[in-house]
Amino acid sequence: MTLPDGQEEEAQGDAGAAPETPPPAEAAAPTPKPAAERPARPAKEAEPKEAPRIPPPAGSINEILAAAVPGVAMLAYMVPTLQGEAVAVEVGRDDLVPVMTAARDDKRLDLKYLRCLSGVDWQDEGLEVVYHLSSFTTRHQLTVKTRVTYDDPVVPSLASLFPAANWHERETRDMFGIVFDGHPNLVPLLLPDDMTDHFPLRKDNPLQEIEEWQGENLREGAGEGEE
Amino acid sequence: MVAEHEQGLDIVDMPINMGPQHPSTHGVFRMVLVISGEKVVDVTPHIGYMHRGGEKLMEAMDYRQGIGYADRTEYLAQFSAELGYCLAVEKLMGIEVPERAEYIRIILTELNRLSSHFMFMGAFGIDSGLFGTSFTYAFREREYIQDVFEEVSGDRLMYAYFRVGGLAWEVTDNFTQRVHEVLKKTQKGIKDLDDLLTKNEIFMARCQNIGAFTADRAIAYGLSGPLLRASGVNWDLRRDEPYSIYPRFTFQIPVGNYGDVYDRYLVRLEEMRQSVSIIEQALEKLPPEGPIVPEKMPRRLRTPPGEVYAKVESPRGEWGVYLVSKGGDKPYRLKMRSPSFCNLSALREMTVGQFLADAVMILGSMDIVLCDVDR
Repeated sequence: MTLPDGQEEEAQGDAGAAPETPPPAEAAAPTPKPAAERPARPAKEAEPKEAPRIPPPAGSINEILAAAVPGVAMLAYMVPTLQGEAVAVEVGRDDLVPVMTAARDDKRLDLKYLRCLSGVDWQDEGLEVVYHLSSFTTRHQLTVKTRVTYDDPVVPSLASLFPAANWHERETRDMFGIVFDGHPNLVPLLLPDDMTDHFPLRKDNPLQEIEEWQGENLREGAGEGEE
Repeated sequence: MVAEHEQGLDIVDMPINMGPQHPSTHGVFRMVLVISGEKVVDVTPHIGYMHRGGEKLMEAMDYRQGIGYADRTEYLAQFSAELGYCLAVEKLMGIEVPERAEYIRIILTELNRLSSHFMFMGAFGIDSGLFGTSFTYAFREREYIQDVFEEVSGDRLMYAYFRVGGLAWEVTDNFTQRVHEVLKKTQKGIKDLDDLLTKNEIFMARCQNIGAFTADRAIAYGLSGPLLRASGVNWDLRRDEPYSIYPRFTFQIPVGNYGDVYDRYLVRLEEMRQSVSIIEQALEKLPPEGPIVPEKMPRRLRTPPGEVYAKVESPRGEWGVYLVSKGGDKPYRLKMRSPSFCNLSALREMTVGQFLADAVMILGSMDIVLCDVDR
């Protein structure tokens, strides 16, 4: 991770062989190749800091959603899926329940299946809850996101709307300290019962030194084609 | 809670503790059942005994090291977990996987489905009171498949054989022949278990009309995999949200009628036959040679900033990875959506109102992996 830039570039440019192919016969064969390719390879451009936010094309499901919930402020963009792209919307936490209710009950959307609920710690930009919805009938997929601050990490609970959210919300409270207002039983699920003031997946909660060391140390060999 | 018995004795609801160390919990899992007579009136599941903070650790590991952690969460369907993880990273990086690697991946993933379902058949037989009979049959079959995995990956349990972009190394020379051999045994094994269990009167009596879940509730509770299909929802990610090269194969999706424990068993049994068919098709089309990693593969895996939710149909259902990247060689956030976790969250709904003795059957029919629940 903390390699000097130049060294990293070198590792990058050395393409061709599988990083971990053990049979020497195979490792030897592709070595001349990258040399031939190297001139064609463009200079590595600086990595973008943020993913591009491409707005959804006209007629996407975010329009149905916006029409179903009048006056909702929504930022919509496309996110990749394995099959192509899907719509993602960011809403304020006060709009979360109306938006999720509309997504579930509107017949054109019929997003009844809450497949995943995740917390993300964006540090200075607050805590985020991400809902992945999909439908078995209309085949739509929708990602809904909402953000809260560290000082007031309260999000309305969706456990009564989507029973599937029940355990996910408890897990997210354990890991991120996000309080789901209205949850029927918001007690620790994965963590011990008395561990209510310590949120392991927040970024300000570092790994133990030994675990960081393992990561660094094992990575040393990762680029060298060792097994 | 307290009822007056006609003879003047007090009858109270009784809490019964089951687990964390109990042969029928399939791992370290504890539930407290409150019973009234023989009926279950409340269930409180306690999980987290195996929580190792895998998601946090994966944030400190680079993309290649994370593969091993995917293995360790889903230790009965390791290839499915590895595939889901690799697909997520490949999608973000925009890597195309070579043809031959895709076919080998599918063959191994489907073999893994077979071995996982064999494990279910064996353990479920024990739950239903057949003691060791089905267990020994199923484990013999599972062992044959395990041998192939060991030959290919060098490990019996934690394969870590898939790589972002393809495979770690070439399969053994006699791979196709070995898989054919194993499939022949497997087909006989499936028939053996079918003969042993499906029409077994005791087994049927213990399974039918127990833990039934309707399609609407199954969707609302976020069930996936055989549980969802047993409830009558015709949904399989391999067909409906296809990934990898699944559109190239023809296979049937078994769907249940009643959503009870027996249907879940039947769905899994039929899935095994379909998996055999998929593997046979894949072996036929498998390119005899070719690269197993893309030619232009960077040594250090770096993803551009972005996010992706990748999901595969593991033997237990939808194994998803929500990967958020801020650039660099490590995930910024990696959430594993494990089917065991989501299915288990419906345990209370399924068990309340059933007999105490059936609670074990319901839990067994979910086929949970506790490491996958706790991560």
